[in-house]
Amino acid sequence: MHVEVTKHDFEPKIVAFVCTWCTYAGADLAGTSRMQYPPNVRVLKFPCTGRIDPVFILRAFQKGADGVLVSGCHPGDCHYMAGNFHARRRFAAFRALLDFVGVDLNRLQFSWVSAAEGGKWVDVVTELTERVRTMGPMPEFKELEHEEQWSGAINTPELKEAYDSIG
Amino acid sequence: MPQIITEQNLRNLIDLLVKEAKLVVGPKLSGSVVLYEPLTAGSDLTLDALPRRSSKELFFPICEDILSYKRENGAMKVNDVDRSKFPEAVLIGAPPCDAGSPAILDAVMSWDYKDEFYLERRRKSTIVGIACTKGDDACFCRAVGLAPDAEAGSDLFLTPLKDGSYACNAVTEKGQALVAAHQNLFSEGAGAEPKPFVDQAVAKLNLVKIKKWLEEHFEDPLWEKIADICVGCGACAFICPACHCFDINDEGSTDDGVRRKHWDACGFAKFTNHASGHNPRDVQNKRYRNRIMHKFKYYDDKFGKTLCTGCGRCIRACPVGIDIAEILETINSKQD
Amino acid sequence: MNAKANKNQVTCIEPDYYQAITEAIRKEAVKILKDETVVGVVGYLPGRRKGTASPALVTTVEEAEKLIFSPACVNNLSVYLTKAKKGVLKQGKVGIVAKGCDMRALAGLMTESQLQREDLFIIGVVCPGVYGFGVERTGTLTEANIARKCRECTVHMPEGADVAAGTHAELADLTPEEAQEMARIEAMPQAERWAFWKEHFSRCIRCMACRQVCPFCYCEQCLCDKNRPQAVESSPRPAGNMAWHLVRAMHLAGRCGGCAECERVCPMDIPLNLLNRRMAQELKELYDFEAGLTPVDKGPLNEYKENDDQSFIK
Ligand code: SF4
Ligand code: SF4
Ligand code: SF4
Ligand code: SF4
Ligand code: SF4
Repeated sequence: MHVEVTKHDFEPKIVAFVCTWCTYAGADLAGTSRMQYPPNVRVLKFPCTGRIDPVFILRAFQKGADGVLVSGCHPGDCHYMAGNFHARRRFAAFRALLDFVGVDLNRLQFSWVSAAEGGKWVDVVTELTERVRTMGPMPEFKELEHEEQWSGAINTPELKEAYDSIG
Repeated sequence: MPQIITEQNLRNLIDLLVKEAKLVVGPKLSGSVVLYEPLTAGSDLTLDALPRRSSKELFFPICEDILSYKRENGAMKVNDVDRSKFPEAVLIGAPPCDAGSPAILDAVMSWDYKDEFYLERRRKSTIVGIACTKGDDACFCRAVGLAPDAEAGSDLFLTPLKDGSYACNAVTEKGQALVAAHQNLFSEGAGAEPKPFVDQAVAKLNLVKIKKWLEEHFEDPLWEKIADICVGCGACAFICPACHCFDINDEGSTDDGVRRKHWDACGFAKFTNHASGHNPRDVQNKRYRNRIMHKFKYYDDKFGKTLCTGCGRCIRACPVGIDIAEILETINSKQD
Repeated sequence: MNAKANKNQVTCIEPDYYQAITEAIRKEAVKILKDETVVGVVGYLPGRRKGTASPALVTTVEEAEKLIFSPACVNNLSVYLTKAKKGVLKQGKVGIVAKGCDMRALAGLMTESQLQREDLFIIGVVCPGVYGFGVERTGTLTEANIARKCRECTVHMPEGADVAAGTHAELADLTPEEAQEMARIEAMPQAERWAFWKEHFSRCIRCMACRQVCPFCYCEQCLCDKNRPQAVESSPRPAGNMAWHLVRAMHLAGRCGGCAECERVCPMDIPLNLLNRRMAQELKELYDFEAGLTPVDKGPLNEYKENDDQSFIK
């Protein structure tokens, strides 16, 4: 099967935190079934969504992700019984927090993808990638990485700006 | 004949200095707090409140890079910070309890190890101090040997006059140079009466006696009594003009990152935590004891100076109301 | 609404009122120390400066007679009962002076099995309010100097305490400043919200005062102090500061009792309680949880229901 590869101006970086029992296996199934999905996604495997700390999501954004996916077993299917139930509450709260500080929640997707749902994995990843592509790069956290307190800055851009404005 | 500068000309001076591409730092309203920050125009200068953080951060930034590293073709490349890029700076509007701090810190920064980051910034800066007519019930600069009109540390010293202008005294060559370069903004004259200073609640302390008591009372019930309530934050040390502890952290990855130096405080539980897990200052009152000991004994032992300018910041900021002036008064009044 | 505008609402609260609470606290503290119900009482002593107070652990009758309650008694003393402050408390049952908002912290600590009710003797304060930050400390509490949290207080009565000191009184016609500020932020366009928080967090000096006074920050090893591996940059730069504050808000979600101590102690005036409040509001909406005066079995993020909302999950 031959698939057209379209060239885009912007290739978003998507980080996916997945549980090993369901979503990872689902993604694997998509692979072995030779289904196509955007190569933008980097998959990180965890024992359970219950182990996916919100700080991982922050870290991903800080280090350059434009979108983040968190995915695990459907409710009731958790290998550890209730990990995903706990994760569900935690991420609901975390979304509210991110929204409150001004992060666009369209860059963050949660999903349940079982080991049998290779097709759903493809859908979820494709949809998130395309959505983030239209949104463009996520500058907020990355910009912060380069900012210094004024006293730690070696030379001061704001001074140059002031100088220019005084003329 | 003293030199006089009007308030407007002081602000004009700032404009000119900014135009000369100097980093001009002074008290400025930042959100709801006044902080020392780069001024972009004379109108930024806010002289009616003591800034929440001290002016030490001009010389000793809250956080600065000291090197960066990167693995390239298998070899680690280390890049030093180009200190020649540090800007020429003028600190303006610092009261004696802030302007006086570099004069205390120079000793430790140029001792066995020369802290070139601090020293280079010091060399490149001129300090315009200002006599203090504000002050509140936390201030005790007189008690530790300074005063609202103490010129120590300042290159140029301003005294607010009742008519709103300032009498200027060029204390050092740097100060004279600053005046000479902008002579048209200053005028000669006797000037009006100086504004009065505020009375302070704490009487002059006998620092020699306090030091002696500290020498003999490393173990004393006083420490538990006053410092068991300390919650071990860094507030008192971070906003203090004289505290100068720092930590060094590598941030980034093993292949690419930055080594950063940033403020630390002896109040933190981890300050003396050893790799073994042993902590010689295992409870909070021992950590607080170090604060007093360092300021009023150890620093004096080594450098003949007291590590406190009496600015009162730590008293205002302490979450649990620990009052260093009250503690010094207590020790000062001890008979044994 | 009108039922609230009752006889207990006044325009200012005079020093006499606090003096009466002081007397009641002293009487009770002396009694429980004398009859050896407790080994010590955590309360407040006056500070050197006018209109200030400090936490204190008193173990003798003489000291107990110096305890006070005034509008300067802002601290949430429950922090001293946590394992993070080891070394402070002697072995045995302790007395503690607690305002309503402090009692929510005690209840939360009991929920988390950090405290046992029978190890405490709670001297509850029927609290009319305390000073805000940087206000005039005249001894009289008014609309002008009351703390922001007290403007919307729902726990003036310390229900569940062993004894209650004082009689109910509260200031009339207080504007809910914090609720207004919340509404203002929520109404901002997203980019403006980001700018608002970025500016505040950038000012943070990482003094950790907010963490150290928090009764719920009792972890032996804070995630934000770790550097191998490092989850949150410990350097006080805008990047690490943002991460620190988001982690902090998450770790307190569903636990914070709303005493707003973090915000009070912040030397950089960062409105931290807004974050806590936003989380509390969300957990109320989603899971009907509210921090209260009685311990519960589990906090909202330590339990779940099979039919919890998952509309945000694909
Ligand atoms: S110890 Fe306190 S009073 Fe002394 S200089 Fe430092 S902050 Fe100011
Ligand atoms: S008092 Fe503590 S934080 Fe301040 S300089 Fe001394 S050791 Fe460092
Ligand atoms: S003395 Fe106060 S400000 Fe200093 S570490 Fe202790 S609690 Fe924090
Ligand atoms: S919030 Fe309520 S209980 Fe707490 S200090 Fe204010 S008035 Fe008192
Ligand atoms: S108290 Fe304020 S400045 Fe200190 S760490 Fe907390 S938010 Fe930052």
